[in-house]
Amino acid sequence: MEKSSDTLLYSRIREKDKDALEYLYDRYEKILFSFLLKMTQDRDLAEEALQEVFIKIWRGVGEYDDSKGKFTSWLFRMAQNSAIDLIRKRKKATVPLDEVAEMPSGESSVEQTAEWQEEKEHIQAAVSQLSAEQQEMIQLFYFKGHTHEKIAELCGIPLGTVKSRIRLALSKLKKTLHGMQERGAIDE
Amino acid sequence: MNNEHCDQLVDYLNGTLSAEENRQFEEHLKTCDECREIADATGQLPYLSDPAEPPAGMKSRILSNVFAEESESADPADSGTIDGEPENRSSHSASSASSASSAAAGAAVGNRASSASHAESETSDRKPRNDERTNVVPMTGRGRKRNWVTPLIAAVLLVSLLGNVFAYMQLQEEPEQAAPEPAPTPPETAFQSVDLQPSEGFGGDATAAVIEEENGALNLVVTAEQLAALEGDQVYQVWLIEGDNPIPAGAFTTNADGEGATYFNIDNSTEEWDTIAITLEPQAGNELPQGEVVLSAGI
Repeated sequence: MEKSSDTLLYSRIREKDKDALEYLYDRYEKILFSFLLKMTQDRDLAEEALQEVFIKIWRGVGEYDDSKGKFTSWLFRMAQNSAIDLIRKRKKATVPLDEVAEMPSGESSVEQTAEWQEEKEHIQAAVSQLSAEQQEMIQLFYFKGHTHEKIAELCGIPLGTVKSRIRLALSKLKKTLHGMQERGAIDE
Repeated sequence: MNNEHCDQLVDYLNGTLSAEENRQFEEHLKTCDECREIADATGQLPYLSDPAEPPAGMKSRILSNVFAEESESADPADSGTIDGEPENRSSHSASSASSASSAAAGAAVGNRASSASHAESETSDRKPRNDERTNVVPMTGRGRKRNWVTPLIAAVLLVSLLGNVFAYMQLQEEPEQAAPEPAPTPPETAFQSVDLQPSEGFGGDATAAVIEEENGALNLVVTAEQLAALEGDQVYQVWLIEGDNPIPAGAFTTNADGEGATYFNIDNSTEEWDTIAITLEPQAGNELPQGEVVLSAGI
C-alpha cells in the first residue's frame, strides 16, 4: 500500500496525533480484521488481537522505522504476533469458520478493495509456485501460528528440519515475489 | 545469509524471541537484505485472507480503549459521581482500578472486556468463553446503555458539552438555551451525556457523550441499542446540527441485537451545535441527510 503516507501517518502517531491513529485504523481495519479472523477463527479473539495492535502502536511498543522493512510487513507481523499470543494463551481449539459469513466488502472503499485484490493476486501467484509441502509449512507456521514442535508432529518430520524448511519456503516465496515485481516493472 | 542471526529469522517472524534477542535481530535486519526481504515477503501473506466484515461498533470500542488506556491515571472515583448505578460502577471501577496497576496491555484487555461484553455477550453467535468476559453480567435497560460509556468515564477526562434533552422535532424553532450547565467545576472532571429520543414511528435508544482527552481533543461517542435491523447498504448516521446545517459525525451499523456505536473526533468543530440526530441513511458517506431522523436530542 502507500508506504510513504503510512510512514508519515506513523510519525504523526508517534507525536500522539489521534486523528492519525484513527486514519491508520480506518485504512487497515478490514485487512487486519480479516487476517486476524483467518488466524484465530474467532471474531472475539480477532477483535482483541486488533486492539492489542493499536494499543502497541499508540504506546510506541516495538517502534517502526525503515530498517525494519515495509510498514505493512511490520504492521501485519505485529498483528500476527498478537494473534499467536492470544491463541497460545487461550489454548483454544480452533474450529472451522463455516458459520462466519464472509461478506463482500461493502463498506470499505473501492480503492482499498482494489489494492487488496491486486496484492492478493500477487501473493496467490507466488504461493502457487511453492511445493505443496512448502505451502503447508507457510500455512502452519504463519497462519496457524503453530510451534516448531507442533509442526514437526503434524508433518511427521524431525524437529531439527522444521525451521530450515520454513526458511526455505519463505526464501522461495520472496524470490518468486521479486521475480514477479521485476517482470512487472519491465512490462510497464 | 551466513550470519548466525539469520537462523533466528523464523523465530523472529513467529514472535518467539526474547525482547533482547528481538532487539538484536532487528539490528541484524538493518544490515541483512536477505532476511529483511524475506520478512517483507511474509508481509504480503495477510492479503490471502478472505474479506470479513468487522463487527458493529468495533472501531469505537477499540479506539476508546486505546485512548482511554493512556489516561488511566485519572481517578477512578470520578466515575462514582456520574452514574447512579452502583452495580455498574463497582464493576467498572474495579476493572479500572486494577488496570491502573497492572501491565498496560493486559489492563486494556480488561477494559475492553467490560465495554465489549455489552455489545457481545448476548449476541447469539458468540462462542462461550472461559475468560474474564463471562464474569461480566449482562445488564438490562438503562444500565446496559450506560455500560458502554462508563469504562470511558473511569479512564478519561471528560467535559460537559452536550446539554439537556429536547426532541429534535421541537427544535425547528429557536432552540432554547440548554438547561443549566453544571456548576463550573474544572472542565477536565465535568461530564455530561445526552439521551436521544426516538422519532415517531421509530424505536431505539441512544446516548451521546463528549469526551475530552488530555490534550484537549474532543470526541463524540454515540452508543445505540434496540434499533431496527438495517437492510442492504443502509447505515445509521450521526449528525451534529447547527441551525439548518448538519455535518456527518460518524456512522455505524448494528449487530444482530440492534446495537451499534460510533466514535467521532470533533476537534476542529467548535460550532454551536443545537441538535444531535441519528438518521437512517440508504448508504454510507452522505454529506447531507437523505433518510429519516430515527433518534435525536437538543443540545
